[in-house]
Amino acid sequence: MTYKKEEIILQVENVNLKYDRQILRDINFNVHNITRPDMQQGQVISLIGRSGIGKTQLFKILAGLLQPDTGGVKIDSDLHPVKAGEVGVVPQNYILFNHRSILDNLKLGLRGSSEKRSDKEKEDLLNEYAEKFALKEHLKKYPMQLSGGQRQRVSILQQILTGNRFILLDEPFSGLDPVIKDKVLELLVTISTLNELNTLVIISHDIENSMAISDTAFILANQEGKEGATITETIDLMQLGLCWDPEIKKNKAFQDLVAQMKFRM
Amino acid sequence: MNFFKSLFTPFARVSNRNYTFLIIIDCAIALLLWQVFAAGGLIPTPGRIAGSVLRIVSTDDFFDNLFSSLTLTLKGMFYSIIIALVICYLSVVPIFTPVARFIIKCRYLTLTGLIFLFTLLTSNGHNLKMSLLIFGIVPFFVTSLLSIIDAINEQEYELCKTLKMNNWQTLLEVVIIGKLDQVLEVMRQNFAIAWMMITMVEGLNMSEGGLGTLLIKSNKYIDLGTVFAILVLIFAMGVFFDLLLAKLRTWFFPYTKLQIRK
Repeated sequence: MTYKKEEIILQVENVNLKYDRQILRDINFNVHNITRPDMQQGQVISLIGRSGIGKTQLFKILAGLLQPDTGGVKIDSDLHPVKAGEVGVVPQNYILFNHRSILDNLKLGLRGSSEKRSDKEKEDLLNEYAEKFALKEHLKKYPMQLSGGQRQRVSILQQILTGNRFILLDEPFSGLDPVIKDKVLELLVTISTLNELNTLVIISHDIENSMAISDTAFILANQEGKEGATITETIDLMQLGLCWDPEIKKNKAFQDLVAQMKFRM
Repeated sequence: MNFFKSLFTPFARVSNRNYTFLIIIDCAIALLLWQVFAAGGLIPTPGRIAGSVLRIVSTDDFFDNLFSSLTLTLKGMFYSIIIALVICYLSVVPIFTPVARFIIKCRYLTLTGLIFLFTLLTSNGHNLKMSLLIFGIVPFFVTSLLSIIDAINEQEYELCKTLKMNNWQTLLEVVIIGKLDQVLEVMRQNFAIAWMMITMVEGLNMSEGGLGTLLIKSNKYIDLGTVFAILVLIFAMGVFFDLLLAKLRTWFFPYTKLQIRK
């Protein structure tokens, strides 16, 4: 498995967040641009933690929607501080505009794109993606008429159309049946390979599914005697030879790693 | 048997046909009880009221009075909703927030105490009625509309940010366009208040006529048959507008049908 870790494209430095108690403490991690010969290889990162640990707050900080008490998040190769709108967000409940059809929801995503396109180009792009995401027959429907899995696809596609290279997904496997989960995994892998700089950050408590498509996993947990969650472990799945394999879940070493992670959390 | 059981079970679903059947049965029982207990008493019986309704409807000036009341109500509603919408949309701009919050509290003000002030401020009877109507309705509109804005999910605003919308675009998308269907619902709910107030304000200036004027005149002569007949007509018109506005909402905003529990 040949790969190279290039420049840092996402940097989280000394992030602390406190409300009535410490929620997040000294969060530090970097995401590198990963390159592989003869292919476009984006990045898939997992932030794994138990429910109620502060994952959603970290999610909002990464998206630029919430300002931490100290520290910050920098993105892109110039490492500028993240601003809301520079990072796509797919929340757990796949929020969409219920008063707009699926097509109109997607058009809003496209409207946010900085790339100039003619109407014909926009239509072609929408049709191309709708086909890829199996949404073509649902374009005239309203969000309330779609299933959870379909809404999730619309939500992801809406964010992709904005042209953002970073997409955060909050609990993307929650509430989905096993067959749909596998389809979501496939879809996320496809998105990560659409562009060299596409970076998916999955925030989840589902260790197995998150790690199955990730190149790096960060464990968010509490340390004994200290208040607030922090990154307690970094797992480099590339180094372990446990990534970019569609059959990874059947791999014994991967299964052992998942079991260990579950035990440690 | 299951049907009867479902009638007494919380959240049980009843078909449209059965629901219509239930309404007819309820109405029939109510009318029957009314007929039995009102016979020979002070309150006129349904039969006598029905006779009065037919008599009023066939008089020359009934439709003039009805038209006068309807015009005043619809004009009042139109101006009120425009004023209320402007106040509510601006309420998300901090400098206007206290104004909007104050207007909500104005619904505790009684109109009776303000009639003299409005008489001084307006040039004729029509304007007096209109201004009282607007002053009476706007606080209720603002209260309902602001509660809708307050209930907007924070994630909708966040979605706008992630789609690179600025604050004004967010206001347009989430608050104005996103809640337009609920404006019609607020209109529907508050039409009842406007329709109720019309009889009161029409009593202040009777030169233009109206159902309120008819009602006050009939009350004066203790013509209870006519009073109840007018009330029935007012009630029927209210129910008609209620249905019309509900229908308009689903015509203009078909997605609302998906959000309503049937």
